[in-house]
Amino acid sequence: MTTQTPVSLNPTNAAASTGAPAIELIELTKIFGHFTAVDHLSLTVRPGEIFGLLGPNGSGKTTTINMLSGLSKPTSGQVKVLGYDVRHQTQQVRQILGSVPQETALYEELSAWTNMDFHADLFGIPTAEKKQRITAMLELVQLLDRKDEAVQTFSGGMKRRLALGRALLHDPKLIYLDEPTLGVDVQARRVIWDYILALRDQGKTVLITTNYLEEAEALCERLAIIDHGKLIAVDTPAHLKQTYGGRVVELETAHPLTSLDVLRAIPGVLDIAADGVHLTINTTGADHVVSQVVNHVSQAEELRNIAIREPALEEIFLRLTGKALRD
Amino acid sequence: MNQLTYDLRVIWACARKEIKSAFTERIGTILGIVLPVNFLVLFSLFALNGGLAPTAVVMADTGPLAQQFYQAMARAHSFRLQIAGAQPAQALLQTGKIVAVVTIPANFDSSLEAGQPVQLGVQINNLNTDFTNDIRRAVPLSISSFYAQAFPRLVNVTADEHDLWPQDTDYIPYLTVSILVIALMMGGLLQSGTASAGEWEKATIKELLLSPASRWAIMVGKMLGSFLMGLMSTTLVLAVLVLVVGVWPLHWAEVIGFSLLTLLIFTAYGTLLGTVLKQRQAFIALAFATSLPLFFISGAFGPVSFAHIPLIEFLAKIFPVYYAIVLQQHAFHGFDLNTLGVGMNVLVLLGYALILIILAAIALRRTTVSS
Repeated sequence: MTTQTPVSLNPTNAAASTGAPAIELIELTKIFGHFTAVDHLSLTVRPGEIFGLLGPNGSGKTTTINMLSGLSKPTSGQVKVLGYDVRHQTQQVRQILGSVPQETALYEELSAWTNMDFHADLFGIPTAEKKQRITAMLELVQLLDRKDEAVQTFSGGMKRRLALGRALLHDPKLIYLDEPTLGVDVQARRVIWDYILALRDQGKTVLITTNYLEEAEALCERLAIIDHGKLIAVDTPAHLKQTYGGRVVELETAHPLTSLDVLRAIPGVLDIAADGVHLTINTTGADHVVSQVVNHVSQAEELRNIAIREPALEEIFLRLTGKALRD
Repeated sequence: MNQLTYDLRVIWACARKEIKSAFTERIGTILGIVLPVNFLVLFSLFALNGGLAPTAVVMADTGPLAQQFYQAMARAHSFRLQIAGAQPAQALLQTGKIVAVVTIPANFDSSLEAGQPVQLGVQINNLNTDFTNDIRRAVPLSISSFYAQAFPRLVNVTADEHDLWPQDTDYIPYLTVSILVIALMMGGLLQSGTASAGEWEKATIKELLLSPASRWAIMVGKMLGSFLMGLMSTTLVLAVLVLVVGVWPLHWAEVIGFSLLTLLIFTAYGTLLGTVLKQRQAFIALAFATSLPLFFISGAFGPVSFAHIPLIEFLAKIFPVYYAIVLQQHAFHGFDLNTLGVGMNVLVLLGYALILIILAAIALRRTTVSS
């Protein structure tokens, strides 16, 4: 990947409070009619980290992000970005915020260069630097050779890359990416992940919302799981697994077990999924629970295979919210 | 960069972007040109077809008085005359190619000279009341006119006509003004409305709203772009009216000034509607549903006051189209179609422009993204 050409910070950037959290949500609430989309959400994102907001569709992720960028006004609560109050210092916040909305918000009838040029004018990038910075960003996202082509001729992955390059054009301190790889093929997804990881190396704070747990695990240093607009858990992926995961025991028996009631009665067994001769048993993780499970099954049936593993983030999510992520 | 320089840069960037987008998505521009020109063609056809009743005259007598009567018919401004024999005239009537056959009998001259009564034969294809009544009015008119010319001693009542305006204005030149106004209305409205609603439909509104640029500057820039595109389409329509139809305005400066003002009003109105509705299809439907009826009741075909329907007059005066037509009639033909005077009509339009610009700015300023 090409390295980003260093660009100067504008005065507003320089004025951002040092030492302040990158993002601070304080009791943030958004109500649409009788529907509470975000419910007293409090969160802190540290400067320089990649932070993930996870939740099923309709959980309040995008509404939260819209309030963060000032696109939507909170019903109550407060949002601060690098110390700036979004409600009262919206312009300053937008100077230091780079956004990649879910829909990319690109003018598809216009060329890649024109999109970048328009963004540069909207963000007041000095005219003398404009050409050089657009070139650098298009080079970064590997679209310089397609700069004069209409965006509507681009693939989904190319559009995402262009949107990312555009978001970086004004050298923001904080970048949010709403579902950055939605609808993108696996190969393009990897490329976008590399760009996002490179942003952290440049000292930028990255906030992503995603439906893909694999993506969250690969990119995010910390994750917040939200559902029905409420914060369910926030931690590093590893810690979330430790705290909420326990251990998963996967067993294969010679014949299906006739009854699972005794297994369910073992203290520490959280849930059991049976599929013929295959059993997947979620436990709290304590050693004695695992041994009790294995003992019981081996007494009831001939054991063919045993595997003990950490739970996947998907399983933790399911446990915390009661539903799969793409519900 | 100071705030003013930044705002001006944003305004120009938004205007350029609107123009570039409009050149790739030409629906607004095309409709802005095609619609008024279509109206011009349709109304002209209507005028050509509906103005004069095609009539055959069977000249069984070709004496001087019969000839004089034929000339009286020709001056009645109601017939499209052709001389035909009795049988061909019947054939034309039967096949629906003419509305009436007027037969000047063989004894026309001799009877009149002898002071005897004469009966003209008048056969009417009365399937269209409009044409039928034209014939029923115009034949007696021609008889009166003929008598005034041929036997002035017998006609004691004559009209002493005094015209309000130095020249008569034909239907097409009068209509030309309305066509220009509809071009301004649709050009401004469609261009700005589709552009504004399109930002929402394509979700590009986020690019605008997430920038630190002031929403005033964004709105002014978007309006400027649409205004310039609207101006382009209107100029084409005006060129057709002047060069093809041949209507030359009396006051060019007024035409330009009033056109810019009218275009500004409808550009602001389109921006407002597009921002509120957020969908191009809904916008276009509403734009047509509201604008065209307003156009027709606002004096497109004749002064509103001639209608003598207070409700229509009241409705027309609520909307700016009426004032735009009044002003353009003054610019093209020197007419004063209301008692407000040019200055006050201009002030009314300026008021509309100001209110609509403020409303459009408020609509964009209050805009939030719900989810």
